[in-house]
Amino acid sequence: MLNFITLLAAFDNLTPMNWEVIAPALNFLWQGLLAIFVVIGLIIVAVKLTAFVIAKCDEMKKRREEAANETENEQGNS
Amino acid sequence: MDFLLQGFLNLTWQQVAMWAIGGILIYLAIKKDMEPALLLPMGFGAILVNLPLSPVIGDPANGEHLGIITSLFKVGIEASEAMPLLLFIGIGCMIDFGPLLTNPKLFILGGAAQLGIFVTIILAAMIGFPLNDAASIGIIGAADGPTAILVAQQLMSKYLGPIMVVAYSYMALVPIVQPAVIKMCTTKKERLIRMKYNAKQIPQLMRILFPIIVTIISGLIAPDSLSLVGMLMFGNLLRECGALKSLSETAQTTFSNIITLLLGITIAFQMQAEAFIKLETIIIMGLGLFAFVFDTIGGVMCAKLLNLFSKEKINPMLGAAGISAFPMASRVVAKMGTKEDPSNHLLMHAVGANVSGQIASAIVGGLIIGILGPFCGL
Repeated sequence: MLNFITLLAAFDNLTPMNWEVIAPALNFLWQGLLAIFVVIGLIIVAVKLTAFVIAKCDEMKKRREEAANETENEQGNS
Repeated sequence: MDFLLQGFLNLTWQQVAMWAIGGILIYLAIKKDMEPALLLPMGFGAILVNLPLSPVIGDPANGEHLGIITSLFKVGIEASEAMPLLLFIGIGCMIDFGPLLTNPKLFILGGAAQLGIFVTIILAAMIGFPLNDAASIGIIGAADGPTAILVAQQLMSKYLGPIMVVAYSYMALVPIVQPAVIKMCTTKKERLIRMKYNAKQIPQLMRILFPIIVTIISGLIAPDSLSLVGMLMFGNLLRECGALKSLSETAQTTFSNIITLLLGITIAFQMQAEAFIKLETIIIMGLGLFAFVFDTIGGVMCAKLLNLFSKEKINPMLGAAGISAFPMASRVVAKMGTKEDPSNHLLMHAVGANVSGQIASAIVGGLIIGILGPFCGL
């Protein structure tokens, strides 16, 4: 594999196996993956939280409407 | 009579080779229906800019009149990356995040399917590409043309032309590349896993809040991704708000078509023979394929990993849909699912993973610019 890389690079003035370039590239692997999963994790949490809050609000609204209906019915009956 | 021969006298074999490449792109667009909206303008543009003394690429810096393609490139791509970013508004308008909001866990697959980008950056660095070029080549794995253009342009890669051509032509190769890789990484039993689709109604408020939430979170953690994610989410907000139907329809159709058309012909500016006909172009093609393959492997393996910890199993093929090529990747997975078991419908899950890949690839593009910028003297 390395021979192949060296062979390819020799054609066009690339500098294969240059550790000064490879070392930061290796750093980006974990930094990049960590960052993307942090962003995704936060988005998932935010989405779940928002969905939960919206569902709760809807539930409360429904209950309020039901309670209002019941009161109206009771008043009507009396 | 010399003026009649000037064109012939200035013709080089590299230019003729570019005509052939242009012809191949036009053939793929028309006959094979591979991304015709982009490959056809790119193919024609490749011929147009490689005619000797072509005035469309005239540059005042060389004492020539400003050519139309040079002008479009300088204004639409070089100055502010306006064209790829504006295209994202249209893409955002086309995307329905409903399947993702139904099962937010699928977001993880979108993140994992970006693995190929980082692995390819390392391989390109090993081959000897400078860091900015290595990162720009790696981003081909995002399977997302506008992101590839933005990253390559911002990192000032000298391989912008080959990167754009490879990014767009490989997106069209998803149906050929992915099934083989998926089969290689999964067993028949895994491919038969069924998933329940809970088609619950997503409240409109949630649909409206989602693009705003994503924009704020991405902006706080990966500010460099804001131009991409922001435009994508703005487009989606136009779609979901319900108050701007005609704007949303325009962005999805006319607006996207105009930008795509101009982008295709503008990309041709980077397809001038002297910059394109190089050994590096072939290496970039190989690395682009490598990135696609590793993205698919990353997504599939992540789905398998999630299955170790969750009660409700995920069909690992969905991981492959985590790449950003929308909607091809989800179609491929859905088709493979029904091929294995005609009653196993994975399309909605695959769309969920696919749209998450769209967001993830835009964020990764920004992250790469942010992380690499200081190394590249930006």
